[in-house]
Amino acid sequence: MTSPLASVALFHLGPVPVTAGVEVTWAIMVVLVLGGILITRRLSLVPSAAQTVFELIVDTVDAQIRATMRVEPAPYRAFVGTLFAFIFVANWSSLVPGVEPPTAHLETDAALALLVFVAVIWFGIRAGGLRGYLATFATPNPIMIPLNFVESLTRTFSLLVRLFGNVMSGVFVIGIVLSLAGLLVPIPLMALDLLTGAVQAYIFAVLAMVFIAGAINEEGQPAPDTSSQRTPPS
Amino acid sequence: MTIDWWTLGIQTVNVVILIWLLERFFWRPVAAMIEQRRATAQRILDEAEGKRSQAIAALAKIEQTRAGFAREREAILAAAHEAAELARAARLGEAAKEAAALLAEVKTVMEKEKSLADKAWSERASHLAVEIAERLAARLDGPAVRASFLSWLLKEIRALPDPVRQAVAANGVALEAISATPLAPADEERYRERISDAFGAHPLIVFKADPALIAGLELHGPHLAVRNSWRADLTQILADLTHDNRP
Repeated sequence: MTSPLASVALFHLGPVPVTAGVEVTWAIMVVLVLGGILITRRLSLVPSAAQTVFELIVDTVDAQIRATMRVEPAPYRAFVGTLFAFIFVANWSSLVPGVEPPTAHLETDAALALLVFVAVIWFGIRAGGLRGYLATFATPNPIMIPLNFVESLTRTFSLLVRLFGNVMSGVFVIGIVLSLAGLLVPIPLMALDLLTGAVQAYIFAVLAMVFIAGAINEEGQPAPDTSSQRTPPS
Repeated sequence: MTIDWWTLGIQTVNVVILIWLLERFFWRPVAAMIEQRRATAQRILDEAEGKRSQAIAALAKIEQTRAGFAREREAILAAAHEAAELARAARLGEAAKEAAALLAEVKTVMEKEKSLADKAWSERASHLAVEIAERLAARLDGPAVRASFLSWLLKEIRALPDPVRQAVAANGVALEAISATPLAPADEERYRERISDAFGAHPLIVFKADPALIAGLELHGPHLAVRNSWRADLTQILADLTHDNRP
């Protein structure tokens, strides 16, 4: 019997196995990119209702970045926002019958955690240089270097495990309940799973921001004035 | 539990590509639109603020202009008032001068008329006095009066220088002795002798009467006229009075 945790290849592209999670990811990518193209094709200064909703999403992401990272959101908006959007849509893709969320597989979560790990290094070096980034491991004092190094690995691993555990457990619970009980019984659990998916997407994005902020703000970079956030002029 | 590294790699690449695509097709355009709207709103607010400032400045300028109008109005009123005062003073001065000139002219006319009236009254009074004197003198024509007039005539003749007296009354020269009333022949003869004696010659003397003399005895010749009568005296008095009353 195949383990439910194992990724089964649907087909192979040469030596590369293509799993269901990859296929769903591609579908999600297509949906998000096409949706983005459709949305941004008709942008105007006087927004429609749909444009207003998506501008609200962008504005909310910017506000979260400002509030969490204390920096201007532009360099981090795409990474953080896309992580949240992808994880959110991936988690909620379980609403489609027969579709298993790609985040319920370890490889997808590991890929996301790996990107966060790389992004922390990338943004840290970009903000303070390689020397500055390495110096962050010596804070608050050099004795903390081993611990900080281990922390940088373990927190990435915790990201992976947290997201994988929550989503995978939801899928398992629903599957088990569905196999044991009637058709309508898993619905509350599915609703709970949607809530869990949304919260996990938010937590993953916020933690990614916190880790990146730790890498760029420990360089002594001053936090931006929050009053510079978009506020209606008086 | 195992990890499919190929899947891990593919998913990593997928997410990286998704980040890039969404950055290009969603996050950046939407954020740019938000920023454009914010910039547009800011520009509109700035323009509105600028126009508000311009409106405030224009209002202040209008207020200043209105204040200038008020000051100018006050100045014009003051100037008009001053000009009116000057014109009034000038007009009053001219009127005073005209009144003074008119008064002086009236005074002159009045004085002239008064002088003329005084003169007329004086002449009338003189004539009246002469008339009164004529009437009074007419009542005094008697022998004593005639004797007086004769003695005054002789006195006048004797007062003449000798060459003149001899020239005007040479022998044979005709003289007229005029009295107010006809003389009696005896009186004529007596008068003739006395006059000839006064001349020291014997002129031809003819006696005539003229009531206009009132009283008196006058002697007229070719080169002589001795006026010795009330008439001559009154005429002389009237002439003197009239002459004295000339303005």
